[in-house]
Amino acid sequence: MGHVSRRLYSSLAVSTAHLKHFPPREATLRTKKATFDPETWAALQPPPPSALVAFSHRIGLGAVLTTPAAVQRACTHKSFLNLHTRYYPLSPPPPNNANLAVLGNALMGLFASEHLHATYPHLPTRVLKAAVSAHVGPLTCASVAQEMGAVPLLRWHRQPSTPTSPALLHSDALASIPRALTALVYQERCLASARKFVYSFFLGRRVDIRAMLKFRDPKRALMETVAKFQREPPKSRLLKETGRFSNSPIFSVGIYTGTDQLGEGFGSSLKMAEYRAAEDALHRLYLTRTPAHRLTLPSSTFGEDANIYSLTDSAPYTPGELGESEALYASSGRSGILAPRRRVLEVES
Amino acid sequence: MATQHLWRAQLRSYPANGHTAFLPQIRKVVLEFCQHYPSSTNTRTFISNHLERVARQNPHIEFVVRQRNGHEPIARGFYANGRDKVIPLNKLEVTGIERKVELLMDSSGAKIRPLKGARTVESTTESARGVWSGLHVDTPFTI
Repeated sequence: MGHVSRRLYSSLAVSTAHLKHFPPREATLRTKKATFDPETWAALQPPPPSALVAFSHRIGLGAVLTTPAAVQRACTHKSFLNLHTRYYPLSPPPPNNANLAVLGNALMGLFASEHLHATYPHLPTRVLKAAVSAHVGPLTCASVAQEMGAVPLLRWHRQPSTPTSPALLHSDALASIPRALTALVYQERCLASARKFVYSFFLGRRVDIRAMLKFRDPKRALMETVAKFQREPPKSRLLKETGRFSNSPIFSVGIYTGTDQLGEGFGSSLKMAEYRAAEDALHRLYLTRTPAHRLTLPSSTFGEDANIYSLTDSAPYTPGELGESEALYASSGRSGILAPRRRVLEVES
Repeated sequence: MATQHLWRAQLRSYPANGHTAFLPQIRKVVLEFCQHYPSSTNTRTFISNHLERVARQNPHIEFVVRQRNGHEPIARGFYANGRDKVIPLNKLEVTGIERKVELLMDSSGAKIRPLKGARTVESTTESARGVWSGLHVDTPFTI
């Protein structure tokens, strides 16, 4: 199939077996004012129930979303109401996923935040927020909806930008589907099931957190971090070298606190290797990861009864450790602002 | 050194289908047949006798049967990445038709690319043992 015919086939082709009236009466009217636009008519038709049921089984929610109407609600964006009321003003507006999407978005933010904070306890706050956006943000939600096969089931209507709101994009409408599904799982089952749903589809995906952690001056940041932990000031030592004075030297530098190595880096110059060693040391600190079997999440205390004011004996909970607060300055988020050196107050003993 | 800003609305994760949950990539299978031509006989037999069993065993796939008189029988699979695969069924027996339908159901819809040649490294994560370094061996090479 060529790309043009495929686009026509997939976007405009409408399965008609489940429709009550086909061809539609307005297509065969022979009045002077009769205007029938087949593309608009196709956009207004609901997807076939078999497609909706197959979708619910594909995402493993065949027992949760028992009727096609529930799936249809999750796949209908609120912008579709504008199109529907324009052409069918007398029929009731179809249920949409606006409320569900808001609830689901909040739940996904909760699960992602607590999981990432428990997994990376020392991650700086800005990086944690970026990681949460990467895991459950709008682009990821749209991508997950596409992989689930929800693109032909989505019912929406493109909205141009107004002075008070930006334009509605296809990816924004798609992103509302997984959020609505999360909320439906929460409504039909419990919080633990909703958390399992979000883990299965969002928190198992590949995100490079190391690339989000950037330092303007890693050597200085490391110096201050080591001082905060009251260790000896970091000292870099050349470990291995080869090819000095040639066109391709390699230096391997380690950064030490006393006799403990904090990080190691390589480079084609001494400065480059030292920079990388400091970066490596900071990554080893901020990206320390809790093993999966020692992960404790606050939302696991919400049992079936969801009484948050009394402890449940069934699931004993030991809170995870709170990470050390990060070095605030010399992070690349601040443009050109370097905080002054902290003065250590001398206490008279 | 100029650092790139992280625009939070542009941050995203990348798929890892099967790590935690597996999403079958097949969405819909359409079987087209002709009611009169003899080349569609085996397809009609398959649709009458076996298709319901296959459809019940795979509730995640939407099966569509279309009558298309005067044309050869085909099976068309629609996938989540927007592509489709078409397989002609006119020279197959009933078991062969079932095998082709299974092929459509198992496929990911990705374009078939040659295995040898330009496909050298397909891993998206770093290697577990790290890339070999001549400086980090017991006896580094010396002239």
